[in-house]
Amino acid sequence: MVELALANLASPALLYAGCALGAIGIALALPRKGVSPQIVGALIAGAGLGAMLLAIGIVNPRVLPNYHFYIFGFIALGASLRVITHPRPVYAALYFILTILASAGLYVLMSAEFMAFALIIVYAGAILITYLFVIMLATETPTADAVEALSEYDRYSREPVLGSITGLVLLAGLTTLIGRGVGEMQPASIYTNADRIEWLPRKVEQSLRRAGLMLPDEHIARGEPAANGAPGPLLISLNPGPDGAIVGSVTVAYGQAGTKVISSDDPNWPADLGISNPEGVGFTLLADHPGGIEVAGVILLMAMLGAVVLARRKVQLDEDARRDLMARRQSEQLARGGVNEPFAANTPLAPSTLSGNWEGGAA
Amino acid sequence: MNTLFCTLAQSGWPEPMPTGTLFHYLVISAAMFVIGLIGFVTRRNLIIMFLCTELMFQAAGLSLIAFSRFHLNHTGETFVIFVLTVAAAEAALALALVVLLFRRKESLDAERWAELRG
Repeated sequence: MVELALANLASPALLYAGCALGAIGIALALPRKGVSPQIVGALIAGAGLGAMLLAIGIVNPRVLPNYHFYIFGFIALGASLRVITHPRPVYAALYFILTILASAGLYVLMSAEFMAFALIIVYAGAILITYLFVIMLATETPTADAVEALSEYDRYSREPVLGSITGLVLLAGLTTLIGRGVGEMQPASIYTNADRIEWLPRKVEQSLRRAGLMLPDEHIARGEPAANGAPGPLLISLNPGPDGAIVGSVTVAYGQAGTKVISSDDPNWPADLGISNPEGVGFTLLADHPGGIEVAGVILLMAMLGAVVLARRKVQLDEDARRDLMARRQSEQLARGGVNEPFAANTPLAPSTLSGNWEGGAA
Repeated sequence: MNTLFCTLAQSGWPEPMPTGTLFHYLVISAAMFVIGLIGFVTRRNLIIMFLCTELMFQAAGLSLIAFSRFHLNHTGETFVIFVLTVAAAEAALALALVVLLFRRKESLDAERWAELRG
């Protein structure tokens, strides 16, 4: 039953084979003790992704997205694979920025331009820079350029095979369930926000003037004024039509009392009149979900206060770390062949070396 | 490049998106989520673990945008704005915590905090 529903969208056997290949590739590409064939793993994982996309493509070749989808998709997934396999945190963060840029490309392909650029500005421009700063603040200074100089927790991952099997099971389950659910859905054909073009009279007016339908001395007419003297509503009646165009009419006033009706049947009617993506997002955000903005503001304020409070707190090194630091210093001193004063575990160290010197004035 | 610019120019009135195309985007998003999950359970560096949660956020955002495009309304895109907000708040708090943890142990190894298991 499940297979039947998925089979309308993809060939299940090839899809699961692709999942398995991807999991094997990730397991090989994760850094580990001994030999870690990262390039081979990445190639196998890429082949797995190719097999998955092929599995979808061969069932219904008419619905293939255009080739930019494949370019951006492979860049996004390849870079995210590199995020989890690169031993150096700074490079992982840089590859994450590449993932963001490729996802922004996918957003543009789905005609979500506003979110694409917001994503680049907020994620790549702000959040990832914070990550880079923290990586630089909270990393032991490497002594050499080689990978062996990195700390142990960067060089080896924990249980790569088990993790990949978990991922394989989750990916197979996700694609099955998504295929089953999506297979029953019908695409929408009319933009939900399309009738909100009536809320933008100036845009309608400019568009009509540019098309030559409204002359300079004409303006959009208003209806009867309300009882309390407020101006009447603008006489615009526009609705989404069957093939994506706007249909309806605009009443235009000229001279003393003359009016005429411009309807969408006019051959000069502007074809590009419509809600653009940022306008649509703005209407949805402000008209449909105004409470969400308030909540988002509170969340951001709380996060800012929390981060300030947390970062100003003074922290003592705990026992284990203190012992490690002693041992490291002792061995360094021995290696240098200098005077080796024996360090006892309870010798007080200079506070500046223990707690770092970037605490600001939080004493 | 032509198709890309066409997509941009006709942004107000995109064609309906076929179900198969939606499935392409959802598979990419599911794969990205799973990569983030695998990274979260296997890597031992605290910062990389948080980077992997951002990867999972990103995958969720991708599928939200895909559904938004499929249903031809902007609610999904609006929700991505809130996902971005939560991601920014989470990054600020989580990174402040990471700095605290690093100052206590001089190490970013998640296994050094194994005693929290109780």
